[in-house]
Amino acid sequence: MTLTARPTRPQLGAIAQLWRNVRVQRAIFQLAFAVFIIWLVYILITNLTDELAKIDLEAFPFVERSGDFPFVKVHLDFLGQRAGFGIKETSFGFDYSANDRYADAYVVGVLNMLRVALIGIVLATVLGLVAGIARLSPNWLVSKIATVYVETFRNVPLLVQLIFWYTAVVLQAPPIGEAIHALGAIMSVKGVALPAANATDGFGLWSVFLAVALVAAIGVWLNRARRQQRTGRASYPWWSAAGTFVVIAAGGFILAGTPLAIDRPQVEGTSYAGGVQISPEFAAVLIALVVYTGTFIAEIVRGSILAIPKGQTEAAAAVGLNPIQRLRFVILPQALRIIMPPLTNQYLNLTKNSSLAVFVAYPDLFQVSRVTVNQTGQAVPIVILLLLTYLTMSLLTSLIMNVINSRLKVPSS
Amino acid sequence: MAVNATASSRTPVAGAARWAHENLFSSVANSVLTVGSIALMAFLVYQVGRFVLVSADWQVVETNRRLFFIGRFPDAELWRVWVIVYMVSGLAGVTLGLWSRLPWLAWPVLGLALVPVFLFIGGGEVALLTAGSVALFTLAYLAARTWAVRGRSLSLARNIALVSWLLSFAVTMYLLSAVDSRLWGGLLLTMILAVVGIVASFPFGVLLALGRASTFPVIRIFCTVYIEVMRGVPLVIVLFMAFFFLPLMLEADRSMLGLPVTGIDLDVVQRAMIALTMFSAAYVAEIVRGGLQIVPRGQVEAAEALGLGTARILGLIVLPQALRAVIPALVGQFISLFKDTSLVLIMGLTELLAAARIVTAQQDFIGKQAESLLFVALIYWLIAFSMSRASQRLEQTLGVGER
Repeated sequence: MTLTARPTRPQLGAIAQLWRNVRVQRAIFQLAFAVFIIWLVYILITNLTDELAKIDLEAFPFVERSGDFPFVKVHLDFLGQRAGFGIKETSFGFDYSANDRYADAYVVGVLNMLRVALIGIVLATVLGLVAGIARLSPNWLVSKIATVYVETFRNVPLLVQLIFWYTAVVLQAPPIGEAIHALGAIMSVKGVALPAANATDGFGLWSVFLAVALVAAIGVWLNRARRQQRTGRASYPWWSAAGTFVVIAAGGFILAGTPLAIDRPQVEGTSYAGGVQISPEFAAVLIALVVYTGTFIAEIVRGSILAIPKGQTEAAAAVGLNPIQRLRFVILPQALRIIMPPLTNQYLNLTKNSSLAVFVAYPDLFQVSRVTVNQTGQAVPIVILLLLTYLTMSLLTSLIMNVINSRLKVPSS
Repeated sequence: MAVNATASSRTPVAGAARWAHENLFSSVANSVLTVGSIALMAFLVYQVGRFVLVSADWQVVETNRRLFFIGRFPDAELWRVWVIVYMVSGLAGVTLGLWSRLPWLAWPVLGLALVPVFLFIGGGEVALLTAGSVALFTLAYLAARTWAVRGRSLSLARNIALVSWLLSFAVTMYLLSAVDSRLWGGLLLTMILAVVGIVASFPFGVLLALGRASTFPVIRIFCTVYIEVMRGVPLVIVLFMAFFFLPLMLEADRSMLGLPVTGIDLDVVQRAMIALTMFSAAYVAEIVRGGLQIVPRGQVEAAEALGLGTARILGLIVLPQALRAVIPALVGQFISLFKDTSLVLIMGLTELLAAARIVTAQQDFIGKQAESLLFVALIYWLIAFSMSRASQRLEQTLGVGER
């Protein structure tokens, strides 16, 4: 039997071959998309430059054409200029005055934001943990109180809460002439002043003792923990370590000649002198952030505890653990894995929400940037700097939490 | 959940005493907690109650009702707002009637809830008009219920209702555009910003999510960068940038090749809407992305084997499942968007929260921040809480998590 020749397809012309090639189609589509986006950005940027030029401002004063490669020079000279505005409070002992540069003002903003964010994260986590566990308490009253707390503060906008705490609570404190004195602390409408401990002579010597105490405590802990694992007899590693640390630190304190002086705050005229001062703005921002974020963390904690199979609780009870031990040894370790991703989200949210401090004039990053923009008119570079700062923080936090997350993951077989 | 091992002969047997024993006093620690909680509650309730009922001066809220609810909307144009209110009540009644059945308990509860509302409104025209809209809502619900039970083509009616919602949105915008947007304020502005933000960010968010999952690298990179940037930055900054830069970028009269390219005049409210939409779209995209990952890949492969094109696969198979799976998270995001409208304060817009501050800046009402802010907080709370309750009911109706 003869094989009939298969009908030959007409050969496509060169262009038609290209046109019908899927990969070529995809490439063309993406090229068109990219061109469109680039064209759009070009239009927007040139508009921006033209409009700013009309009011005598350069849109991108920090970029210049230069003769040699890479044809642009970036210089942020305005950041080196004298700032000329004061900032009410700084963090971590950073000194700033109106004679410092804009760059310093920016750093102060970043530090202020970090201070409120870090303290806020710690407090909000504690509050959220307590509230989340309380919502699951068998005590009806406690669980109802926690529910009311979560439902109330979750549904009111953060800004409303912030302004409420600031104007209706913090600013209603007694004026400084009638400040409340308690346990060495002073509270008034100017904020809270707490006694601080200042280092005097011999602090260096004592820090050596502290380091030794820390090393010794770790050594004791390791020793005891291993012994406990090996022999099964209770050896109280944490208590022993803590005791070792306290003894060596206290001994060193006395031997170094008590190198700490208590700095009691005083009221001088219309402000405080000495001690650690907490401004009303900081207090309001902190309280609002902690209370608001605490509700979300409480929901996350509650959700993750509920996600643990009930059998674990029952088995733990059958083995004889009391409720607190059940939480500590069985439930929470497993819940931690589930809590981590949404918890990092909440930490990020708290840090970003700290930018609301601009509404109560707490000098955080956004507030400082606004003042700088007002004074220098360099809106574009400062906004870009702002975006980069926040993005870096978000990425860093995500990275750290991803690392922690991968450590906590159940190893897949 | 607590395994209560020891029930001695002293355990009360009957009703309330037994409940109290089990839930409040089951152990020493529990009893201490209960006593402490009661003390805390008593203290808080006393302080709050004393403030609300005795020392607060609610005159500030009474007198400034208008500012809180509609800002500086001109009197002559108030009829537009009423038309919108009636339209929404009617549509809401029809929607409820066509889709669900209210338990008979809902009516007395509604009646009871309206009592403080009418007390607040006082008398006069406003009360009459409000009563009218409630009546319209009830009538619409009854009519829709009757149709749903007895009439034909329920699905046609439902489709008409959906289209009507979209139309009403357009009608609202048209009606309101006649009034200068700088005069919009109070709860009216908050609701407009929230609704526009929600309605606009949803399709954009879905598109972004699909783009992020796309096989085209250019599109994928663009969408990923956009989403990550928007999620990494606080909303205040996006609003600030929109306020500052959008007019500079878009208002120049520029034409290329003889065709006008930009030259759009944006007023402040429009800039706020754009900023809110762009910001929320990124969050919606992340949520929808999670939903897309839930759809089993086998479904897409089977659809491709059947010869369905990408658009059909997405529209008929992937998106319905993906979106249904993430409804709780989506509603949560919309509630957040509603709360975030308070941030447009930074652009100088007088939405609800700004109205509260303006009220207390007036000569007669200077020290009354607490009352005014509490009132505003109450309004926000009522709306957000209803939304979250409605979402829970929606989850139940759709059987989320059960299939």
